[in-house]
Amino acid sequence: MDRVPVLKIGDLLLVSIQVDMQDQTALALQEDLAERIVATGCHGVIIDITALDIVDSFVGRMLSSIASISRVLDAETVVVGMRPAVAITLVELGLSLDGIRTALNVERGIELLAQAREPETPDDLGIDLDLDRFGPATS
Amino acid sequence: MTTRLLQLVLRTESDVFVARQRAREVAAAVGLERQDQVRLATALSEVGRTLFTDRGGPPATGAEVWFGVDDGTLHVEVVAIGPTQAQQLPSLGRLVDSLTIDDGPTTTVVRMSRRIPVGAQLDQAGLDRIRAELAASAPRTPLDEMAEQNEQLLSALEETRAHRDELARLNAELEETNRGVMALYNQLSDELEETNRGVVALYAELDERSAQLRAASEAKTRFLANVSHELRAPVTAVIGLARLLDDPESDPLTEDQSRQVGLIRGSAADLLRLVNDLLDLAKAESGTIQPEWSDVDLGAVFSQLRGTVRALAVPSVELVVVDPGPATIRSDEVLLAQVLRNLLHNGLKFTVDGEVRMTASRVDEDWLIQVTDTGVGIAPELHDRIFEEFYQVPGRSPTGAPGTGLGLPYARRLVTLLGGTLTVASEPGAGSTFTVRLPAGGDGTP
Repeated sequence: MDRVPVLKIGDLLLVSIQVDMQDQTALALQEDLAERIVATGCHGVIIDITALDIVDSFVGRMLSSIASISRVLDAETVVVGMRPAVAITLVELGLSLDGIRTALNVERGIELLAQAREPETPDDLGIDLDLDRFGPATS
Repeated sequence: MTTRLLQLVLRTESDVFVARQRAREVAAAVGLERQDQVRLATALSEVGRTLFTDRGGPPATGAEVWFGVDDGTLHVEVVAIGPTQAQQLPSLGRLVDSLTIDDGPTTTVVRMSRRIPVGAQLDQAGLDRIRAELAASAPRTPLDEMAEQNEQLLSALEETRAHRDELARLNAELEETNRGVMALYNQLSDELEETNRGVVALYAELDERSAQLRAASEAKTRFLANVSHELRAPVTAVIGLARLLDDPESDPLTEDQSRQVGLIRGSAADLLRLVNDLLDLAKAESGTIQPEWSDVDLGAVFSQLRGTVRALAVPSVELVVVDPGPATIRSDEVLLAQVLRNLLHNGLKFTVDGEVRMTASRVDEDWLIQVTDTGVGIAPELHDRIFEEFYQVPGRSPTGAPGTGLGLPYARRLVTLLGGTLTVASEPGAGSTFTVRLPAGGDGTP
């Protein structure tokens, strides 16, 4: 079974998904990530999906649950590198990726997390990307 | 009508990834835009994943995916084997232009279609080309390879089984042959054993015969010895009484009577000689004669014989005894002299004219003593018979001397006792040569 590597970069954990996710792989990733968060005490998780051409509802649900688990463990999750076509498809599919922050690329994601670590400001909501905005932008 | 471009078989969830990848390729090939490619692939991914998850019901055990083009529209048809899955299918929203789901008790058929933008080259030739390209780029999943390997394995197994059967058959044949060989072997063994038994029986019979012969021979010898012994006393009595009658001291006889008494004495003397010969032979045969070994001076023996035998020679025959010079032989003097005397007598008896010559010569460790006469000779076929008891060559002795047919057998017996051999070489009319071959050192006993 494929395992997705979880890399620690400074205060962050970086997960780069390069393979098609199956049930087992997704479950394993959830467990690995949760353990690494607890072990390292990191407060930020960046999930890079640049390599994914196709994101279906299964992967969307998986990302949602990872984000929820991380939040419970006091870590923010940012999904970065989503392709336009993927975003459009997700929206058309009716998935909203609730509770998931997104950023255009890893650099932006790191910035976003750094801001989140600042004294809690209420502008969190403003940073949340509204995925619906992508739809009209590229079509 | 629909032109089918590609068919895929899904067995597990991982095949869904292959299927959606192929869906993108098919979509690209028929000219869908990039975004539409992703939409179609995602839609297929949704359907496929839903079919193979066990959420809300058992997963499908397999599925077939068809891609086809019909009237400017790309159709995707998924036929899943498994109970109702329709309720689980997510809403595919705007991903596809049309979506129909036929839910059956054992299969679920999902049909999706997406319109192909105008301008794509989709005549029959173009579709054929697309189909060929897709077929050429078909990926091989590990499962496919495993299935193929499985098939190969099965055929190999089949072959092995055939081999085994063949081997078993060969083995059976071999066993049968073996049984045949064993049977043959047993038969041969039996026959051999039987023959063996016959041979053994024959041997036993021969042994028995031999023993009988020996017993008969011993009986004969014993008979001869007894008879001779019993005969000798009366014969000596007859001789003695005849001499008394003839004695000048007794009453004078008439001339006729005197002659008759002479005849009685002569006949009795013959009889006595015969009896004595028989007795000697019987003694020799019964093994009661034991040579007394001593160093014998051959010259002395020869000169003694010359003196005693000369009287028997007729005037026309010369007796020549060649002096062997200083020569000694370890032997029994009495027996040796007896042998040589017998041979000389024999030679003189059958020689009318010429000479009887006795010579001695040393050959290696042996002494050869030869008695040569110029007599009538003996035919070769009779050379063996003259050493049989009582055998006499047909035709009377030319000198008229009487014989018993016991001299030569006796001589041969004695020579054998002395450790030597007695042989004869002769031709009719050319005389005879008797050769005594004796070891100079005796028979080896001290």
